[in-house]
Amino acid sequence: MKKVVSWIDQRFPLTSFIKHELTEYPTPRNLSYWWNFGSLAGIVLVIQIVTGIFLAMHYKADASLAFDSVEHIMRNVNYGWLLRYMHATGATAFFAVIFIHMARTLYYGSYRSPREIMWWTGQLLLLLLMATAFMGYLLPWGQMSYWGAQVITNLFGAVPFLGDELVIWLRGDFVVGDATLTRFFALHYLVPFIIVGAVLIHLVALHSVKSSNPSGINLADKDNIPFHPYFTVKDLFGLCVFLTIYSYFVFYNPNMFIEADNYIPANPMQTPPHIVPEWYFLPFYAILRSVPDLLGGVIAMGISVMIFAAMPFLDRSKIPGGARYRPFYRVMFYVFVIDVLVLGYVGAKPPEGSLVLIGQVATFLYFGLFVLLPFGSKLEENWLRKRGLPPEVEALIQGEEKQKSDRRQRKEDRRKSGRS
Amino acid sequence: MNKAVKHFLAVVLFSLAGGAYASSDAHPVKDVDIPQDEQTIKQGAMVYYNLCRMCHSMKYITYRDLGDIGFTDKEINNLRGDRLKSAKLVSTTSDEMNTELFGMVPPDLSVMAKARKHGAQHIYTLMTSYYEKPEGGYDNKYFPHVKMPDVFGYSVALDAKEKAEIEQKALEVSAYLLWASDPRAQERKSLGKYVILYLIILSIMFYFVMKRVWSRLDNE
Repeated sequence: MKKVVSWIDQRFPLTSFIKHELTEYPTPRNLSYWWNFGSLAGIVLVIQIVTGIFLAMHYKADASLAFDSVEHIMRNVNYGWLLRYMHATGATAFFAVIFIHMARTLYYGSYRSPREIMWWTGQLLLLLLMATAFMGYLLPWGQMSYWGAQVITNLFGAVPFLGDELVIWLRGDFVVGDATLTRFFALHYLVPFIIVGAVLIHLVALHSVKSSNPSGINLADKDNIPFHPYFTVKDLFGLCVFLTIYSYFVFYNPNMFIEADNYIPANPMQTPPHIVPEWYFLPFYAILRSVPDLLGGVIAMGISVMIFAAMPFLDRSKIPGGARYRPFYRVMFYVFVIDVLVLGYVGAKPPEGSLVLIGQVATFLYFGLFVLLPFGSKLEENWLRKRGLPPEVEALIQGEEKQKSDRRQRKEDRRKSGRS
Repeated sequence: MNKAVKHFLAVVLFSLAGGAYASSDAHPVKDVDIPQDEQTIKQGAMVYYNLCRMCHSMKYITYRDLGDIGFTDKEINNLRGDRLKSAKLVSTTSDEMNTELFGMVPPDLSVMAKARKHGAQHIYTLMTSYYEKPEGGYDNKYFPHVKMPDVFGYSVALDAKEKAEIEQKALEVSAYLLWASDPRAQERKSLGKYVILYLIILSIMFYFVMKRVWSRLDNE
């Protein structure tokens, strides 16, 4: 064994890789369970890819066969029902895990320097995940699949000048049809592997800047512990708890997140009375509908997803520790979470009566919070400073500022010496 | 405005309670327990076979599948006659004939119990809500102007006993359709017990392993 390993090590950095990334990888010892959700998301991705590949062996991407082939999987393929329910529940689990992962990042301010690239690759991953989920939802070829795809591809028609051509180009036909199904299937199979690539970039960035932690302060070396065995076992524990909850849904409530209408085969001639997207799109869907103008709504929806990327710029406070030591930001965080839940509720209901107004208020609040953040965060910092920060936090901020000015000074010096 | 504010607060509370997403627009149904024992399902299958099958196909169910709900080989052979065991259960009336009679092809029933919210109860409610109109003819209380005729004769039942018999039949056929919509449900639930039990034990074990590993840090 030793011989084999040393043979490999001469040709490939196996031992040093394991050391550097696992057994000696320094991880803050004070991470809470909220830090479990990153690795959990990775495992859900693996579940989705593995079940997806096996489903693809039996699925038929053909408008006249797709619905039947899903029922064939459910009835005649060995453990096909398990694969299919795992995959469908897995989509829900994936978004649940990712939303919690994002909420943790927002709460603890983990998006701030030096973790901006992590946050942006995360934003890219969210977009890829949404695209994959959306395209995957068409594949069962039920009524909701069909009309959901019809409604969402229609949105691209709001693009000025190019709209109509764009919609046809996306669908490969004038309406969602066989051409749309086959391309969505091809892309639904492809994009997850792009996600794997983006996850690797996300991880390389993580292993370069290391994990953030609940204190928001970079810990001293002695407070970091090796990832293995401490966090491998903690992640395994978290994984088992997650799998228990996931299994409850797979085995006992697999249709909870599947609309009943999706067991009716797609019928282009009959629009269902009430088209709703999957739960994870509902808040964004509510924003889309809250803007009276279609193009405006599409833009608002796009921004509502992409605005997270601006967080490192919008949050101007230097107080470390995210919402923990920042009362004003903490209030904003909770208001935001409640606002998203309200938007989700509004998105699930037909836009009638006072729900329209509530949706508009919630949409306004959604963007208002992001607009407020740059001023709020600065005001909050000044207020906190006036009240007096704990000395160690003060020292940290000053230390950071000193580092920055030193860097600037060195740059200046270099430029001067270069010129003379 | 005041009303809107109140509604807003109600919505906030409701979304926080988490019940909001599950409860959207279900058709009102009679709240009955649909049994899933083999005998009820088998009786329901016979009701379907002799009555519903006149108009409704079940294209995902074959004669062989009936073996899963307690039909013996002999019974299946009697039902199928010279059809193959792998033949699907198709309606005895042609699509053309049905279109002429009802203006549409009656829907396939294979996944019907999943294609409506509370599907099995939905079917039961439909079957047992026909009533006789004072001006003659009949209609359905929960599904007004539904195209499906009152095949059990619920609207013209003479007494409570006859109604109860029809309700029993409706219950059986709902049970059969619930089974047919997901024939692997029993297998799923019985496997689920072991999977979840295993995972709970594994979680507990990992919890203690974690405690033990982390306790090394206390000695520093």
